Amino acid sequence: MAAVLQATAARLGHRARRWARKRQGTDPESLQLESRRIYILPTRAGLIFALIVFVMLLGAMNYSNNMGFALAFLLAGTGIVSIHHCHHNLVGLKLKSLGAMPVFSGDPLQFRFVLHNTGNDTRWQLELGWDGESPARIELEPGEHRSVQLALHTHHRGLAHAPRIQLRSNYPLGLFRAWAWIDMELTGLVYPTPANEARGASTGPASQRIAGHDTSGDDDFFGMRPWRPGDPPRRIAWKAYARSGQKLVNEYRSGTAMPLWIDWESEADADPEQQIARLTRRVLQADTGGWNYGLRIPGYTVVPGRGPQQLHESLKALALAGQPEAPERRA
Amino acid sequence: MKTGPVHERRREAPAESTAQISWLVAAIMVCALPHIPYVHLWIPVMVLTVSGWRLWLAASRRPLPSGWLRVPLTLAAFAGILATYRQISGIDAGSSLLLVMVAMKLLESRGHRDRAVVVFICYFLLFAAFLREQPVWAPVYLGAGVLVATTALLQTTRHAQAIPARHALRLSGRLLAQALPLMLLLFFLFPRIPGPFWSLPQRSGQAITGLADSMSPGDITELAISDEVAFRVQFDGDIPPSAKLYWRGPVFEYFDGRRWSGAHPAARLPDSRQRTARAAARARRVDYEITLEPSERHWLLALETPLQWDADHAWLGTDYALIRAFPVDQRLAYRASSVLDGITPGGDEARGHTADTRLPARTNPLTRAWARQQRAKYPDDRAFIASVLDKFRNEEFFYSLTPPALGPNPIDEFLFNTKEGFCGHYASALAVLARAAGIPARVVTGYQGGELNPLGNYWIVRQADAHAWVEVWLDGHWERIDPTAAVAPERIEWGMDAAMDRGRIGGATARLRNNLLAERLLMSWDAANAAWNRWVLAFGPKSQAMLLKLAGIPHPSSRHLLMLLTVGMSIWLGWVAWRQHHQRRPRTDALLRVYWQLCERTARVTRPRHPNEGPLEYADATARQRPDLAVQLRELFSCYAQLRYDGTASPAALAEFIGAVRRFRPRRSPADAPATTATGRP
Repeated sequence: MAAVLQATAARLGHRARRWARKRQGTDPESLQLESRRIYILPTRAGLIFALIVFVMLLGAMNYSNNMGFALAFLLAGTGIVSIHHCHHNLVGLKLKSLGAMPVFSGDPLQFRFVLHNTGNDTRWQLELGWDGESPARIELEPGEHRSVQLALHTHHRGLAHAPRIQLRSNYPLGLFRAWAWIDMELTGLVYPTPANEARGASTGPASQRIAGHDTSGDDDFFGMRPWRPGDPPRRIAWKAYARSGQKLVNEYRSGTAMPLWIDWESEADADPEQQIARLTRRVLQADTGGWNYGLRIPGYTVVPGRGPQQLHESLKALALAGQPEAPERRA
Repeated sequence: MKTGPVHERRREAPAESTAQISWLVAAIMVCALPHIPYVHLWIPVMVLTVSGWRLWLAASRRPLPSGWLRVPLTLAAFAGILATYRQISGIDAGSSLLLVMVAMKLLESRGHRDRAVVVFICYFLLFAAFLREQPVWAPVYLGAGVLVATTALLQTTRHAQAIPARHALRLSGRLLAQALPLMLLLFFLFPRIPGPFWSLPQRSGQAITGLADSMSPGDITELAISDEVAFRVQFDGDIPPSAKLYWRGPVFEYFDGRRWSGAHPAARLPDSRQRTARAAARARRVDYEITLEPSERHWLLALETPLQWDADHAWLGTDYALIRAFPVDQRLAYRASSVLDGITPGGDEARGHTADTRLPARTNPLTRAWARQQRAKYPDDRAFIASVLDKFRNEEFFYSLTPPALGPNPIDEFLFNTKEGFCGHYASALAVLARAAGIPARVVTGYQGGELNPLGNYWIVRQADAHAWVEVWLDGHWERIDPTAAVAPERIEWGMDAAMDRGRIGGATARLRNNLLAERLLMSWDAANAAWNRWVLAFGPKSQAMLLKLAGIPHPSSRHLLMLLTVGMSIWLGWVAWRQHHQRRPRTDALLRVYWQLCERTARVTRPRHPNEGPLEYADATARQRPDLAVQLRELFSCYAQLRYDGTASPAALAEFIGAVRRFRPRRSPADAPATTATGRP
C-alpha cells in the first residue's frame, strides 16, 4: 500500500516537473523570481495543523465554547497568513549563475550562484539545491547578496548537464513549502581523468626533457600579444600600456621554436577512453614542463602554444573528443 | 548522479539549538499553567522534570535518551494517569493525558517535525484550558499563549539557529495580527450549530454548590453561606420588586417523613396546557435574560411561572419547573418570560392531586395530630393555612442558619420543640401540615431576591439567595405561600444579609460589603464579568440571527452568514496580500529611486549596470559604448554622485536632477538620435 502511494506520489511529482518545465521553458543565467513561477503546497506538518484546527472547531461546536472557536479561528487565520509569508519569502529574489570551473572527471563540478535580496525584508530559511537533492541553506538580510556553491559529481568526461535547481523555503511556520524550479540548462566541462603511471602509459620522448626545465618559459623574446586573464602582471608591457592604453604582454618562447605535437596515434590503445586518458596525461606533463605543445586528435587540432589557455584548449578538445558537443573547427 | 551542496560562509547549523528547546519549554509552560490547579500534583512535577532534563540535554549537546528508557517511561506515565483518574475521558484526565504526551514528545523530539508536534499539543492544551473555564481575561491569555506557542513553532522549524527572541516575537506577532481580522470575521459569521453532538465529559472532583435534587430541612445551610454567583439576570423593562422575585428551581412532591424529592424524570407539560396557561395569564408578563452559571444540574432557573423560554433542549415539567435534556455544564444564557402573581396553573389534571396529600404513615405523629385538630377548627383551606402562618408568627419561632440537629421525626421536633430554623424547615413544616389536613401542597426550591448591580443595571443572584417555599392547591390552582416571610419578613424584603444580622454570614465578602469603595470595585468586576458572559461567551446562533437582523436581513439563515463570510474573507485576503506587497517594496529615498530610473534608461540603450559598479565608472563605460550620449551620461551620473556623496545637496538641486532624468530619453541607436537632446543642468 505504502509502495503504491509512494509510486503514485513519484509519478505525480514527475508530471508536475514536466508540466512546470513546459510552462516555464529555459531560464536565463540571471533572473528575478516572479510570483507566477513560485509554487506552494502544505507540508506534512501543515496537514497535521489543519487537522488539529478542524478537531478544535468540532470540539468548540460541541461544547459551544466561544474561546475554543476563537482559538480555532485564530489558528486557521495564522495558517492562511503563513501561506502569504512563505510565498513572499521567495518573490523578487534574484539568482545569477556564475558557472563552474572545469574539473577532471571524478571531481565535483562547483557551480557558483549569487543570490541577491533586493527586497526590504530579511529572506529566511532559503534552501537552494539541485532538484531532489539536499540543499544549501541561506538567509539574506535586506540588500544582501551571497554566493552559494552547488557541487555536481562527475563520472565522465565531456559536458556535464546540471539538473534543474530548486529554490525553496518553509518559512515562517513550516506549515507550507514554497518553491521555484529554475532550469538554466547549466553545463560544466569535465576533463578526462589522466591515466596514471602505474598502468604503464608511454612516457614519450618529452618526458626526459621536461625534467629540470624552467617552467617560467621566459627564454627568448618572441613578440607581444594582447593580455589575457591569467597572465602574470610582470609580463605586461607597461610602457606600451602607458602609450596606447592597451594591455599587451611580452611573450617568450623557449629556445627551440619546434613545438611538441601530442598525437592521437602516439598513444594508440584498443580502448579510446584509455587512449584519451593517456593523451590527457601527456598534455598535463607538457604543460607542467612549460612546453610549447600542440594536440592532434581525429577531427580537431589545437595549434601549438603554452600557458593556461593552451592547457584548457587541449583538455577541452580531449574532453569533447567523439562527443556530439565536440567543436567542428579544424585548425 | 550524486550531488551534494557546499555552501560558502555556511552559518553554523546544528540539528537544534538550546534556544529552540527553550522556546518549546516556554510554550509548554504557558499552555500548561491553567491546568496545574486541577490535575494531580505528580503531572506538573513530571512535566517540569522532563522539560528541565531536555533543556540540559540540549545545552550540553548530549544525545536524547534511547527508546529503552523512553518507552517504559511513557507507559508508566499513562499507567499513572489511569491509576489516578480511572478513566481517560474527563477533562482532568484528558488534560493530564495531553500534559504527559507533550512531555514525552519533547523528550523524543529530534527533527523539526517532532518539535512542531510539541507545539501542536500546546495548542490543544490551550483549547482544553478553555473547556475548563473562560474567565474575563481569557482573551488575553489566548493571545499570550498563541503568541508564545507560535513563536516556538517559528523558531523550532528553522534549520539554522534560533532568531533573537524580540525579533522572533515580532515576526509571529505580525502573523497573528494579520490573522486577527479573520478570527473576528469567523467568530461572528461562521454558522453556529446549536447543541452538543456527543455527550460532554463529566468534570471530576469538582463539587459545584447549587440546588440539590432533594431537600431535607437543614440542607440549604451550606448554600446560604456561599457567595458564589448562581446566575445573573437582565430585565427588559422595569425590575419587579425584590419581594416578588421567586426564581423557580426543582419542585418536590414526594415526602418520606424526612426528605423531600421530585419526580424523575419530570413529566413534560403538554403544549396545549402551555398555550392555555399563556392565554390565561392575567398579570403582566416580565421578560428577562438569564445567564446561568454551570451547575451540572438539569434544571434551568426561571421566575415563578414561566410561559416562554428560548433555551435549546429545554421543556417545562408539569410542575412548571424548566428542565434541560443536558446538565448545565457551561455558562448558559437564555431569555424567558414569566408572570409573577404568586399563582401557578395545575399541570396534570388527569392525575389529580392525591400525590400531593400523601404523607408516610407513622412519621411525625404530633404534627399530624395537631393538623387534624386545627382542621376541625378551620374547615376552609385558606383559613387553615392562615392559622398555620399565625402559629409561626405568634409563637416563639426563630429564623436561624444554625438550627439544632433534628431527630427521626424532624417536623415534630421543629414545630413543638426547637422552633428554630430557616426556609427549609418552615416550608417543610407548612407543606406537611397542609397535607395532613388534606390540602395538596408541595415544596418549591429555588432562589429568592438577589442583588442589583447598579453599574450594569442587572440582577445578581447568589447561592446565598437559595430559598424554599410552598405551593398549596387553592381554588383550582397552585398558590405560593412563603412561611419564611411570616417569621422573617426582612429575609424576603431585604435579602439574606438583612435576615442574618450582618457579619454573621461570615466570609470576607460580607465584611467587604461594609466598605463602600470595595463594594464598588466588587460590583465593577462583576459587571465586567457579566458583560463578558452576556456578549462574548453567550454569543451563539441566536446572537448571529440578531446580528443579521440588525444588518437589515429580515429572515436570516446560515446561507446569509456564508455569503457575508465569503465577502469578508475576500476583503481580508486582499488586505493580507496588499500588506505583503506593500512591505516588500523597498523603502528608498527619492534620490535613489531616480538614480535607478536613470540606470534603467541607460541600460536600455547600452548595458545594465553591474551591482558593484559605481555611478562614475558606469558613466565612463557607457559613454565609450555610446559616444553620442557621452556628455549627457557623464553629466547626469556625476550629478548623482555629487548629490549622493557631497552632503550639501539642496532640495532644489534634487528637484532639478529629477527633472533632468525625467527628460533623459536616449534613442536605441546612435543613428536616429537627434542633434541635441534636452539635458537638465543641475
